[in-house]
Amino acid sequence: MAFSGNFLCTSFKVELMKGVHNFTAASDQFKVAMYTNSASFTAATTAYTSGNEISGTNYTAKGQFLTSVTPTSSSTTAFTDFADEVFSNVTISAVRGALIYNEAASGDPTVCVLDFGADKAASSGDFTIVFPTADASNAIIRIA
Amino acid sequence: MLTNSLSMSNDFAVTVETTDNRGFTPEEVAVRCVNRIIGISENAPPAIKDQAHAYRKQVEAIVANYMHQAIKSDRTTVYNAIKDSGNPKLAEYIRRM
Repeated sequence: MAFSGNFLCTSFKVELMKGVHNFTAASDQFKVAMYTNSASFTAATTAYTSGNEISGTNYTAKGQFLTSVTPTSSSTTAFTDFADEVFSNVTISAVRGALIYNEAASGDPTVCVLDFGADKAASSGDFTIVFPTADASNAIIRIA
Repeated sequence: MLTNSLSMSNDFAVTVETTDNRGFTPEEVAVRCVNRIIGISENAPPAIKDQAHAYRKQVEAIVANYMHQAIKSDRTTVYNAIKDSGNPKLAEYIRRM
């Protein structure tokens, strides 16, 4: 039971074709929740779960809303991204990874699994998830 | 036969930055900000890459400077809000930070 890399969830790819996810909605769509390394998420993960979610000062269960970048394209690749997310003034530890999921969709379906590569912590400080550059080569969600 | 394929990749790179007993400084945030704005290819010719890095440093300094101004201005707003709520000593403490 452990994180084993980054994954775009297979169910998310199916749901894209079903029109479940809208990255242009004004707000309150996608959330990021964080987990310890006891969680075991893969491309087969389909929905948010509270199991092995971290807890700590100023961290709320189910995480925080993300600000999504309006989908666009470069050459033949379409992509979208999220603004860096700051968990302010938190005391949290053993944070190994995260799930991005759609809070506005029925059942909180997942978008992707983030593996931080090692346990991370912040003590009375800020914890920032830094997303990649929003371009055709680096953005978190790309369709080529 | 005509075939069309769509591909979605798992090769995205997400990183984490943290602080203990403080927030991020304007300089630290400026680096993140400029990294989002200006991408420099590892495959660029050395002369162009050097020039791009120098430009990025200049932009970082400008962004950090304006962040400092924003913080100072916000502190003025916070100072007045706290003073108006009847806590002048706390307001003065925040103003002097």
